[in-house]
Amino acid sequence: MAAAARPAFPAPNQPPGGRWRLRASPPRPCLREKPLPEPRRGAMERVFTPLDCLLPAAALRACADGGANRLYHITEGSQDSFLPDYITGDFDSIQPEVKEYYKAKGCELIETMDQDFTDFTKCLQILQKKIEEKDLQIDMIVTLGGLGGRFDQIMASVETLFHATNITPFPVIVIQECSLIYLLQPGKHELRVDTGLEGAWCGLIPIGNPCDSVTTTGLRWNLTNQVLKFGTLVSTSNTYDNSGIVTIETDKPLLWTMAIKT
Amino acid sequence: MAAAARPAFPAPNQPPGGRWRLRASPPRPCLREKPLPEPRRGAMERVFTPLDCLLPAGNLKFCLLILNQPFNKGHFHCLWSKAALRACADGGANRLYHITEGSQDSFLPDYITGDFDSIQPEVKEYYKAKGCELIETMDQDFTDFTKCLQILQKKIEEKDLQIDMIVTLGGLGGRFDQIMASVETLFHATNITPFPVIVIQECSLIYLLQPGKHELRVDTGLEGAWCGLIPIGNPCDSVTTTGLRWNLRLISKRQDKYGSLTAENTIN
Repeated sequence: MAAAARPAFPAPNQPPGGRWRLRASPPRPCLREKPLPEPRRGAMERVFTPLDCLLPAAALRACADGGANRLYHITEGSQDSFLPDYITGDFDSIQPEVKEYYKAKGCELIETMDQDFTDFTKCLQILQKKIEEKDLQIDMIVTLGGLGGRFDQIMASVETLFHATNITPFPVIVIQECSLIYLLQPGKHELRVDTGLEGAWCGLIPIGNPCDSVTTTGLRWNLTNQVLKFGTLVSTSNTYDNSGIVTIETDKPLLWTMAIKT
Repeated sequence: MAAAARPAFPAPNQPPGGRWRLRASPPRPCLREKPLPEPRRGAMERVFTPLDCLLPAGNLKFCLLILNQPFNKGHFHCLWSKAALRACADGGANRLYHITEGSQDSFLPDYITGDFDSIQPEVKEYYKAKGCELIETMDQDFTDFTKCLQILQKKIEEKDLQIDMIVTLGGLGGRFDQIMASVETLFHATNITPFPVIVIQECSLIYLLQPGKHELRVDTGLEGAWCGLIPIGNPCDSVTTTGLRWNLRLISKRQDKYGSLTAENTIN
């Protein structure tokens, strides 16, 4: 499947004191040249346990630019026991000493200068390549960080989840502090919420578009063919019944969000 | 303009360890019985200086609404000193109480609203003893933010306050669903108040632009390096801008939606 030609946007120069990232991706089936590989059986039957990842262990670990600073500082004193497989980005956020440390330790540094995509999106693209190269058997991709700080960057994280369906067949979740988000594609989904790590709240956010028909089970307040739309109805501060399973059927992309026990 | 009947949603009981708020508001022209009053001339001609409220010598008059999130102390003091009316939504009172430690009696809100499930008992007692109005709002169909805004609008009308905007402190951090609930309230706000409502937390500000043309003055000197346009809630088929480092002149369908285009931008 040939990649569609990118639209002619003005080439961004580095403005003083700022950077422009225009995620310019007109509708195209795939950001890649090859068709997406078949995910592991079970991973895309839309039965999914979002918090399963908080039990061990990652097959591959990557940092997107300044994410390496976070890793470096949170592992202070034992950084060499926590080496990422690779670090990507335009390296405008990573601290020089952090970059040098990981480089000296043999971590792969992959510079991605494309200004049309965020560090997160580009890191995801490379991750998918590596998963295929190494023929890794995985079920999901977990992103740590992205839901706090600058509001535009929180929105950019959500934006990347929309792109992710063109990048990887695996579910991509984003976790920060007590929050998790996961973009549900149109169709029926079953989420297992019985790991014991689920916090008290959850929600369904029609973030990029209204949803004309949403039906759920497993929530304290379920929806039946409901319209979800900003200004009309957005499900926040919802919670679970005791079944341990939530099902969601939606006609449009819909963002699932849930609490993680801290 | 009569208020439309509210839809029949199941009456929410208090679940153990959680609360559900389903903002059940099918499209209706107004959440009030009376038509909205005319805003001050100039406030709704869509020429607007979002950060004027943070200028000590700023021109715009505003009311302040405090939510239950950490906020910048410098912002707080500037906004508090200039606000015509000051309100807390439930746990926002805790934030106020702690940020004014040692001199709480110099920073008394005009009123505190909410279902009072977040406000600490000692904070509630303190402000009650000091004569602050406590308004309990048990309606589970709306967030504390939305309900506080409804009451604020009532008070603005009762007192016939001449204001230009409403400033909300907090709401853009912490729980992701609550960030989204803050955005949701901005959608409702157009049915509650004629005044622009902005939300500020730490280094971020959000403001919902209604369809039409808007002019934003960004020359207060307080503007940071970044800005952006987020088609949150619905795609936008046509957006045109000037004054940005990278302007938009998109007129084709299916642009300006999530997965297509979101500009992370700077000011020219």
